[in-house]
Amino acid sequence: MKIDVTINGRERSFDVPPNTLLLNLLRERLDLTGSKYGCGIGECGACTLLLDGEPVLGCMTLAVDCDGRTVETIEGLGDGDGLHPIQEAYLEEGAVQCGFCTPGFIMTTKALLEEEPNPSEAEIREYLKGNVCRCTGYVNIVAAVQSAAGKMR
Amino acid sequence: MNPINKHNTHIVMPFEYHQPATVRAAVEILRKHPGAKPLAGGTDLVPKMKQRLLEPKHVVNLKKIPELSVVEDRGDAVYIGAAVRLREIEKSETIRRRLPLLSSCVRSIGSVQIRNMGTLGGNVCNASPAADGALGLVALEATVHIAGPGGERQVEAKSFFEGPGLTVLGEDELVTGFTVPVPTEDTGTCFISVGRTALDISTISIAVALTMDGDRVKDAKVVLGSVAPTPIRLADAEKQLKGKTLTEKLVEDTAMKVSESIKPITDIRGTAEYRREASRGMAVEAITKAWREGRTQR
Amino acid sequence: MSSKPAFKVLGRDTQRQDGVAKVTGREKFASDLSLPNMLHARVLKSPYAHAKVKRIDVSAISDPTVVTLTPDEVPDARFCPRLMSTPEATYKDWTVLTSKPRYVGETIAAVAAESEEAAQRALESLVVEYEEFTAVFDALGSMEPGVEPIHDYIELDEETLKVESNIACHLEIEEGDTEEGFRQADHVVERTYRTNRRYHTQLETKSVLVRPEPNGGVTVWSTTQTLHNTRILLHEIFGIPMGKIRVMKVPIGGSFGSSIQVNPVVPIAVALALKARRPVKLSYTREEDLHDHCSYQMIFKLKLGADREGKLTAGHLDAWLDIGAHQIQAYPLLGCVVGWWVSLYKLPAKSYVGKAVYTNKVPSCAFRGYGNPQITWAVETLMDELAEKVGVDPLDFRFMNYIGEGDLFWGQGPSVKSVIHSCGVEEILTKGAEMSDWYNRPRAETQTGRHRRGWGMGRGYHTSSAGAPVPGTVIDFGGAMLKLNEDGTFDYVSALMDHGGGTLDANAKIIAEELEIPHHKVNIVRADTGTTVYDVCTHASRGIYSGGGAALKVAAQVKQKIREQAGNLLDAYPNALKFRYDQQREQAVVYAEGIEGREITYKELAYTMRNKNLGTIAAVDSYRQPSCPPHFTGYFIEVDVDTWTGKVRPLRVIAGADIGTVINPKLAKGQIHGGLAQGWSMTVNEDTPYDPTSGDLWNRGFISDYKVPTSMDLPSLEAFTVFFADTYEPTGPFGAKGIGEGALNPVAGAVANAIQNALGVRFYELPITKDRILEALKRKEVEA
Ligand SMILES: Cc1cc2nc3c(=O)[nH]c(=O)nc-3n(C[C@H](O)[C@H](O)[C@H](O)COP(=O)(O)OP(=O)(O)OC[C@H]3O[C@@H](n4cnc5c(N)ncnc54)[C@H](O)[C@@H]3O)c2cc1C
Ligand code: FES
Ligand code: FES
Repeated sequence: MKIDVTINGRERSFDVPPNTLLLNLLRERLDLTGSKYGCGIGECGACTLLLDGEPVLGCMTLAVDCDGRTVETIEGLGDGDGLHPIQEAYLEEGAVQCGFCTPGFIMTTKALLEEEPNPSEAEIREYLKGNVCRCTGYVNIVAAVQSAAGKMR
Repeated sequence: MNPINKHNTHIVMPFEYHQPATVRAAVEILRKHPGAKPLAGGTDLVPKMKQRLLEPKHVVNLKKIPELSVVEDRGDAVYIGAAVRLREIEKSETIRRRLPLLSSCVRSIGSVQIRNMGTLGGNVCNASPAADGALGLVALEATVHIAGPGGERQVEAKSFFEGPGLTVLGEDELVTGFTVPVPTEDTGTCFISVGRTALDISTISIAVALTMDGDRVKDAKVVLGSVAPTPIRLADAEKQLKGKTLTEKLVEDTAMKVSESIKPITDIRGTAEYRREASRGMAVEAITKAWREGRTQR
Repeated sequence: MSSKPAFKVLGRDTQRQDGVAKVTGREKFASDLSLPNMLHARVLKSPYAHAKVKRIDVSAISDPTVVTLTPDEVPDARFCPRLMSTPEATYKDWTVLTSKPRYVGETIAAVAAESEEAAQRALESLVVEYEEFTAVFDALGSMEPGVEPIHDYIELDEETLKVESNIACHLEIEEGDTEEGFRQADHVVERTYRTNRRYHTQLETKSVLVRPEPNGGVTVWSTTQTLHNTRILLHEIFGIPMGKIRVMKVPIGGSFGSSIQVNPVVPIAVALALKARRPVKLSYTREEDLHDHCSYQMIFKLKLGADREGKLTAGHLDAWLDIGAHQIQAYPLLGCVVGWWVSLYKLPAKSYVGKAVYTNKVPSCAFRGYGNPQITWAVETLMDELAEKVGVDPLDFRFMNYIGEGDLFWGQGPSVKSVIHSCGVEEILTKGAEMSDWYNRPRAETQTGRHRRGWGMGRGYHTSSAGAPVPGTVIDFGGAMLKLNEDGTFDYVSALMDHGGGTLDANAKIIAEELEIPHHKVNIVRADTGTTVYDVCTHASRGIYSGGGAALKVAAQVKQKIREQAGNLLDAYPNALKFRYDQQREQAVVYAEGIEGREITYKELAYTMRNKNLGTIAAVDSYRQPSCPPHFTGYFIEVDVDTWTGKVRPLRVIAGADIGTVINPKLAKGQIHGGLAQGWSMTVNEDTPYDPTSGDLWNRGFISDYKVPTSMDLPSLEAFTVFFADTYEPTGPFGAKGIGEGALNPVAGAVANAIQNALGVRFYELPITKDRILEALKRKEVEA
């Protein structure tokens, strides 16, 4: 099936079988491997990306369902060499350990801060609960979101 | 036989894809391809396909059908289209204000990502005994609108479910939406659920709606999730409340009744004994909160 | 207390060098890699918990391009996938593929095809005939007479051993007269404890990419904690000369011990790639990964005696380790369990009987702390009970008995003994008690109402490496190479892995400190087996103590060479030269103090040497650490227990850690945060029960039923305090020790004690789930 998808600002056309998952399209056809497979069934958030600006899970989204829509992945963040304030905050706060969960967290954070520029700690924790991190215990991640919110105000 | 070698959560196996623009077209596809599965948010369907619990040859995407995505305030009721995403329901001012119970049921589902994808229709049609949205609809005595080759029909939410994963829907039928009556001003509601972590299918959940006249209960709905094959209303507990003046003692007695009248099973999320024990405290909390809310709203 | 030197680089937060790659999604993990012309592999898993494969028929595969691999096509030599011990302590019972599956999920065959979908289809076309045997799922039950043997024989150091009563291996130790010790005790408590079997839930599933090389060798990118042991194992299995096996360093998406052993996917993919003569990728699905590894479930019968003053007199421990279907490191673990136990508190007399038992379950492996969290939970629970009997506060009881500075320590087992030279236990416990207002905490049994609060404390430690003055059965040394580049920067090349804790950056900082330069001037090179000297593995919290020790050793050698070369060029005495960093030039300067013009920057030195053909300044060396210093930790935790739902919430966490010199405060704290999260969930939630009917995991491998904590399940930022004790480890690089595992070990004890403090009920089985809490409360109500 033919689809047109805008990925990280670039319009692209694909011919995909309907059972192609968005995550696999990105990872295998475009080598955009920032979105990770962690479970494939919605439990970990490692595949989080933005579809028309909203955080969704690439592992459960059919590519054909993205026809005519806009996809943003971690690779689309920041401009050229410069880091996005969220990326900076994650680094500064020590929110990155193994880093496997990081792209998913950053994409969820982006959606959160666009929706609510001044989230409380409880709101941050609630919004991030679909992203699993096994390394950090979330402490430095929550701090990074707070710091990013400050930077972006 | 253990299907261990068929599970593959990296991929879904091939199927034919349909993307109808109207309900009528969708129904026609379902009729033509027995075993075809509607796809809404896919948050239940895709994992099941990856686990090979379902292997539909045809998948019918409902998200391109505009009429399934409307939310409408109809005065004494709110109409919610089956393909309205959970996150839209959660954010809808109308629903938050007029159907706070449904709003809190929906907010408790999954994560932001899940709610951005998942729909109320999917939650109901998946027919999990733990479905939080379904619980709210049963407690609010919603009507389920169904479209099939023979036209439309309507079913009460509580009669929609027939068992885990089983509903009254025919293979060629679709849920198009829900009419949810807005409770009267003097109605207090409460939903609570317990899971193993903050991102979990409920081990047990309860929704209570009490219509109050001061401290007197005019009408009561007590619905539990994950304690039976479907969300269930506990008529005995409701009867015990109706027409009575609420006291702490009555709340406790009713909670005891709740605990006694359910027949939960043990599964990986919790034991039967746990569910029976926990239902008591949860009922106390939910009834008490609904009582307070109903009293103050008057 | 110590007299610490003032550091320029250490102790300050710096950004990790792989940070930008990680936040931009450009970092490539093993599971992200692909190669042109690559095949995708899938494995055939046993649907039976115990069976024999009678026949595998591949003829129904319609796709002619599919490559299959069956047990008779792989070398049948038995091996142990974990190569961290000397041969006499390495039990071998694994093969690349098996025709006698011993748990549901064990790999029998494999296929490789052009796409994952094609591979999946091929897999489903395999026809396998099984003969089923009875299976056993409980360690104690497995030893009973008449139970079907899981292994007939296994190998140890070239010899064949017959397995009796499904006991994989055992270890007995006695020091002092235990009977006499218990006679002297005024109070004795004996309890039986049972831990859970947890799944690591490292975010990246086990993955490997293999490229067969024209010279008959292979290049391997895999999820591993050890490059060199991967190479050794592949050499042992396939007989490929080691020079032709290149194991590349790739970042790993979490591990927590689950890649100390070479993951089973690695030899399978190698065999497929060799057969197909094409690159092969094998990346497990999450459900396969859940069928790949888990922690050791342990059953303890623990007995401690104390005199009326509160001094411990004796202890006895019976330990049964449920190791699942294969040995990964059962024998060394038997040694560690007793080591962890006897190195917590002074026991004048102690005895131990440890047995590792096979069951028809997923093989167990190290999981952050390697048995230490398990035994520490039991000991810390029992210490509270015993303190109550003696009539002293549990904290004072610990003060009276803990093992600290000057004491003999053998955490890593009876063959790894050394003396403790730095200890922050006093400071941790004293501060923690102050901050938690410990002595005024509520008494158990005094609370009523729905929500009950309780404080608990637990302390512990983990070893930093497995070093010692004399060799034992544990292999533990590392190495590094360092060279000065022409622009005055350095390349740091080592086989050591960073699991995310910032190990390599910490070591780069150690080098930077020694060479008087900022951390970013030390470039961490992503190396491979061909370009590095041996390093055993990143485990046992040895990354900084041992890996940093190696880094410091080569840095000191490089510094000496810089002195000599600079001395020549400046016409100065090498040992009189000094070093400083010039911010303006952004260069380190070597100079003769007070003599004008006698100075040279690293850059000038390297360039001059190049132009004069004097060579490169570099050093490569191995390093064996002289000791095995414990890093101590202590937790004070307040919980809220909802007696209506059985849910436990953390209200306050105070964590103290003695890790010697703190190299990167934020990342060190990050280790504690992660340790708390894992320990919390170990205590109240995680387990992998089996369904005895299907013989499979009850959750069938789906993490929808293996829950790990979310951001909402853990304490708020304000409620979580971490502090470091002011200590200096004289045998460590610039006084540093480890932290990774100590961060976790005492958590379960502290949480369990807090729950007891809230409810007045003790639990002897983990996890203490909401279900178990309500059950216990109900039982208590009925009894009352
Ligand atoms: C990580 C995770 C957490 C979750 N947590 C919760 C939770 O806390 N509480 C909870 O209740 N659920 C939870 N769910 C389940 C799921 O997200 C919800 O049930 C969701 O509402 C399903 O909606 P959907 O649109 O995604 O359904 P889909 O997956 O698209 O469909 C579900 C089923 O209904 C059928 N269907 C869908 N729409 C229609 C229709 N209009 N007419 C007829 N048939 C239809 C489909 O064919 C399919 O069989 C969770 C799921 C995940 C993955
Ligand atoms: S991989 Fe998509 S949620 Fe885990
Ligand atoms: S940093 Fe490793 S999982 Fe989050």
